[in-house]
Amino acid sequence: MRETEWRGWRRRSLGRPGSWLFWAATLLAVTVALVSVRGELDQAHVTLIYMLVVLGGSASGGRALGFSLACACFLLIDYFLQTPYDTLSVDKPLDWLVLLAFLVTATVATQLLGRANAEAAAARRRAEEIDRLAALGAETLSAGRADDALAAIAKVIRETTGAAECHIYVAGTGGGFRLGAHAESAAAKAGGRDADRSTLETVAWVAEHRWAATERLDGTPVRTSAAQGASAALDAALAPARALLLPLVAHDKSVGVLLLADSYGLRLDPARRRFLDALSYYAALGIERVELVAEAEHAEALREADRLKDALLASVSHDLRTPLTTIKALAHDLAGGGDERAAVIEQQSDRLNHMVADLLDLSRLNAGGVPVHTEINAVEDLVGAAIQQVAGALGGRQLRTALALREPMPVGRFDFVHSLRILVNLIENALKYSPADTPIDVAMRGEGAMIAIAIADRGSGVPAAERERIFEPFYRPAGGASPDGARAGGAGLGLAIARRLALAQGGTLSYEDRPGGGSIFTLRLPAARLGAEGVEEAPPLAVSS
Amino acid sequence: MIPQGQREGTGLIVDDEPQIRRVVRNALQGELARLVEAATGSEGIDMAAAEKPILVVLDLGLPDMPGIEVCREIRKWSSAAIVVLSARQSDTEKALLLDAGADDYVTKPFSTLEFTARVRANLRRAQAAQRPSEHRVAIGELVMDLAARTVRRGEHTVHLTPIEWELLRTFATQAGRTLTHRQLFNAVWGRTFGDPQQYLRVHVANLRRKIEQDPLRPEIIVTEPGVGYRLEMPG
Repeated sequence: MRETEWRGWRRRSLGRPGSWLFWAATLLAVTVALVSVRGELDQAHVTLIYMLVVLGGSASGGRALGFSLACACFLLIDYFLQTPYDTLSVDKPLDWLVLLAFLVTATVATQLLGRANAEAAAARRRAEEIDRLAALGAETLSAGRADDALAAIAKVIRETTGAAECHIYVAGTGGGFRLGAHAESAAAKAGGRDADRSTLETVAWVAEHRWAATERLDGTPVRTSAAQGASAALDAALAPARALLLPLVAHDKSVGVLLLADSYGLRLDPARRRFLDALSYYAALGIERVELVAEAEHAEALREADRLKDALLASVSHDLRTPLTTIKALAHDLAGGGDERAAVIEQQSDRLNHMVADLLDLSRLNAGGVPVHTEINAVEDLVGAAIQQVAGALGGRQLRTALALREPMPVGRFDFVHSLRILVNLIENALKYSPADTPIDVAMRGEGAMIAIAIADRGSGVPAAERERIFEPFYRPAGGASPDGARAGGAGLGLAIARRLALAQGGTLSYEDRPGGGSIFTLRLPAARLGAEGVEEAPPLAVSS
Repeated sequence: MIPQGQREGTGLIVDDEPQIRRVVRNALQGELARLVEAATGSEGIDMAAAEKPILVVLDLGLPDMPGIEVCREIRKWSSAAIVVLSARQSDTEKALLLDAGADDYVTKPFSTLEFTARVRANLRRAQAAQRPSEHRVAIGELVMDLAARTVRRGEHTVHLTPIEWELLRTFATQAGRTLTHRQLFNAVWGRTFGDPQQYLRVHVANLRRKIEQDPLRPEIIVTEPGVGYRLEMPG
């Protein structure tokens, strides 16, 4: 409510001085008119006309005026209009009955009218509150910037509560508080309160405990155990207070503090305090919005940086490959002539190419720019392609596979290229981290809704503490678990890329210890159900000759 | 059979990097009688028209025009084997290239050995395409009789479903050439009906179970990840 309305509301409850004068004059005029013809009047005429005056007065001027008019009418009827005239005494006892009946009827009618008026006023106030909430909602939603919305909320809260000032403190990331928005009346603008140290301390206390606090007229802070403005625990602390601090909680998180201040004392009745609670929830949501917007802007900036980084990495990787081709080809020619150093050069250029590819993939995965094409694929096809790709790196190592041709072929719905990359990474890892004379085992099986491909080695396994860390980028095993340090020197990206690629196509990648020593890495991908017409065995065409 | 190194015909190398041209030239030295080089796409197209090469080695990262355009242009009037060199490892791009008429691609950095083998296979296939097609095709131990529609491995007959037969026939008639998924769809499902194309990969896996010694180490039908499949002629 605005200040003027607040005064008007007080005036309505007592009645305006104007209406008292008006009804006194009306009463006088009616009496003069009736007295002039009192000889020809019946008592019923007199009482009914005065009843109209009483009802009119109490309807427009309130209950107090109604009672006063009823009493005045009682006396006027008795004195002027009942025989004997011009005296308070009455001839017939029945006349007393008429007078008393008039008084009781007028009083009851006034009382009823007053109550109806009060209810109407309350309903009007509710309607105004709802209007205000709606306006607040519309303003906060339409405000272009989140900070503007918060300022609008502060303004509405101040106007509604009639306080001189309204401050909204926002919890900062570092634990401190900053003034997010404030609104003040024209009078308070000159000598408004400053956020001194003790205020900030109280603000911090309120936010931490989620309890309200007040400040007496002399400045003494009072810390309460009331969580909300409407609670009765706040009554005593508010009795004469110049400031009220309420915690702002959104989604069970303390996001800030609302401070209402008026150096002449706050006037907050329980109804208004209830409304204040609703408004302060708006304020809490406003703060949350400000924070979300800030976060989104920050994230957008980070994404932009990521995009640039990605573009740079892509171009660098691309430009690196061309000289690598030359180096590799020339080294290969030299190695053919029997120079072992050339073989090392070729090997290292392969390694470099590998790292370039890894970096490129990780940067693309991080930027979310990796398209996933899931299609129906045969697991055998995938494993076969992986074996074909690592064939050059096997160097005589044994890669064992078990394939039961009688079993139905495991078929999945996944991205072939991504899954191939995962498997190649896993097999290369297994080759790196297990002794050269041990075989690598590749197994595949259906597991209901998933198909699983397991790569098992006889290396030293992964310590329990590092089982999740191995999937982080740039992870290197502590103490170099690799028996062959030179070959193990990747960038530590293989497993990180593998897991992200698995997740991107609805799969998982997990580690477990292998019974008898070693590691098992299992890639699980969504299985596919083939339609009846999919791969049925039609009658063979070829006939034995 | 066909000789390992053939010393006839012209090869055209289109690449703006002199070092790469040198590497390719060294790798092709024993394969062709004559090698010519171009540094830009338009120069490459002109030389392909003038020299009538039987092999074009085309780099994708040309300064003047996209490699795929050069490929399309040359393919309009030339039956030369086109082998593309790509620095990007994007498989969609490779598939697009093959659909645009390229015969094969090699990803940088490539090994000279692999490159030479690919070139040989493509040259052999280009030559084979010019000879009248034979009824019997031998793929290692496997013998296909295209007229009788039978496949035999040694003494045993291999039983294939109609789709598997169409697949193998398509592979065999374009041996050594990487066929994209799309090309296989068109070749196989263009003739038959009722079978969802999405099962292509499953059909290939089933076919491998029937004709490969070890389906997990296929020697006849090789997977080109993200692009398609290729039938390798042993030897």
